[in-house]
Amino acid sequence: MNWLDWIVLFLTLILIVGYGIYQSRKDRTISSYLLADRSLPWYHITLSVMATQASAVTFLSAPGQAYTDGMRFVQFYFGLPLAMVVLCVTFIPKFHTFNLVTAYEFLEKRFDLRTRGFTSFLFLLQRGLSTGLSIYAPALILSSILGWDILYTNLLSGFGVLIYTVTGGARALSYTHLLQMGIVTLGMFLAGYMVVKMLPPEISFGDALHVAGKMGKTNAIDFTFDLSNRYNVWSGIIGGFFLQLSYFGTDQSQVGRYLTGSSIGQSRLGLAMNGLLKIPMQFLILLVGALVFAFYQFETPPLHFDKVPVGKIQESALAGEYEALEQKHLALQEQKRADVLRLNAALDNQQQSEIDALRSTLSQSEKELQQLRKEASDLLTRATGTTANDVNYIFLRFITDYLPAGLVGLLIAVILLACMGSVASAYQSLASTTIVDFYKRIFAKDKSEVHYVKASRWATILWGLFCMVVAQYASKFGSMIEAVNVLGSLFYGVILGIFLAAFYFRRIGARAVFWGAVLGEIFVVISYVKELTAFLWLNLIGCVLVILFAWIIEKIWPERTGQAGAGE
Amino acid sequence: MKEREDGLPPFVNSWRQLYALIIASLILLIGLFYWFTVTFQ
Repeated sequence: MNWLDWIVLFLTLILIVGYGIYQSRKDRTISSYLLADRSLPWYHITLSVMATQASAVTFLSAPGQAYTDGMRFVQFYFGLPLAMVVLCVTFIPKFHTFNLVTAYEFLEKRFDLRTRGFTSFLFLLQRGLSTGLSIYAPALILSSILGWDILYTNLLSGFGVLIYTVTGGARALSYTHLLQMGIVTLGMFLAGYMVVKMLPPEISFGDALHVAGKMGKTNAIDFTFDLSNRYNVWSGIIGGFFLQLSYFGTDQSQVGRYLTGSSIGQSRLGLAMNGLLKIPMQFLILLVGALVFAFYQFETPPLHFDKVPVGKIQESALAGEYEALEQKHLALQEQKRADVLRLNAALDNQQQSEIDALRSTLSQSEKELQQLRKEASDLLTRATGTTANDVNYIFLRFITDYLPAGLVGLLIAVILLACMGSVASAYQSLASTTIVDFYKRIFAKDKSEVHYVKASRWATILWGLFCMVVAQYASKFGSMIEAVNVLGSLFYGVILGIFLAAFYFRRIGARAVFWGAVLGEIFVVISYVKELTAFLWLNLIGCVLVILFAWIIEKIWPERTGQAGAGE
Repeated sequence: MKEREDGLPPFVNSWRQLYALIIASLILLIGLFYWFTVTFQ
């Protein structure tokens, strides 16, 4: 990074934080601090829910995922539009009618305090852990760029967001989300444009896609039904539907966004537009990753994209072994480059038999390269004592190695802004759930508005510290975007099951749903530990099990008449 | 004349139509991505 990058980076961050603090100056009551007085229009909601979901992980991991695994990850989002429709029809009218601050308040109205508390606890556990991963992502960038220990960059990222969140309320979050999404979109379009521009003159955009496609990176759709396959159309539509429904319908970091809508209609339209825009946006981010892959067919990529462990191994006894792998990698890459150029010529001349032969050759070379990268990772893990996984560094390394001054700063700002957007929403939701569902409900019922706002700020600080501790251990996971989604899948299905039982199963009572949820969660954790199925299906399994167990318990151990469905 | 509901965008006449549009766009996207996969693989 040169001085121009630092100027662009700091000006962008100061603009966002300053704007957020300016917008938060009016928040003096808990309703204005947590819900912006329920006054925001639909476009605030659309951009705010998108900014909350699209964390730094989205912009770091997704292009890396496309580079290593292809674009099939886009199928993960296929359930989202369907979930938006269900939310608009069922969840939004209920939440607005009851004038809720958190989604979990509804569960006490429908069931009892115990169910509300249990669900809030599951949310706090899941959101607290996954927010730690979201902090770790930009900390990783700073660590790589500045050469600092990850501990210091974790603290820097976590505290930066914390100061901004404690000062700002829901209104500030929403206004800054608008700016953040504008800058993020601009930055990603510029990155995509630059990749295409930097390809060799004889390689067009279409040629680059053919090159990436022939090596399996444009695999956006897979109709094969396979329970053990993480990403196909069916796991995306069915498993993804339950995950997204649970995330948007029961995760306070999202519910808190659309409860700021000025009416049911504005909240509905905000989510409906998210249903239309999210998949194209995710496709374009993955496309950037596939294009980066195509770019690296003409430029030699590093064997391992994270500079830090490579620097360490070069000073260790394993340096010779690593250098031998690098030599093999270089030779293989040279061979691949020649084959890719031949493939491009064959595509131009429409020589199908040559294309088929080269596709097979390149596919084999790609497998060998992946094997080599794995051997390098294993060696680096041995040398450093920590797991060396470079998926999250691929896009970052491309940015810093090849993009011009100024744009590097802007893209680093994009990643930090994305982090701020999602982490700020998460901090606020953790604080609001702690205060509204526990502190205000159980421990301090009749205090002043100023007291609750102050308590919310303290809760934000404590949760921020917790998340930073989690961030310190986040490097143990593989691809962060997957780690976040795996974590979500462990809890979301059960939480969704509780809410669906509340909405659609009037005969199920409080006791049945509570024990159904406890049993369901135990089963989901066992399924994950025993690797019984791919993680996306855990959402469906958890949800169905809660309802099934609750229904059975209600049948064999019915509550007295008048208790089931109380509060409806 | 019936008053338009708050939030309903001008290109649809009811919430049902908007939901149908969301589902239709999903089907269209899956079709486009399938074409993309087949064309470049």
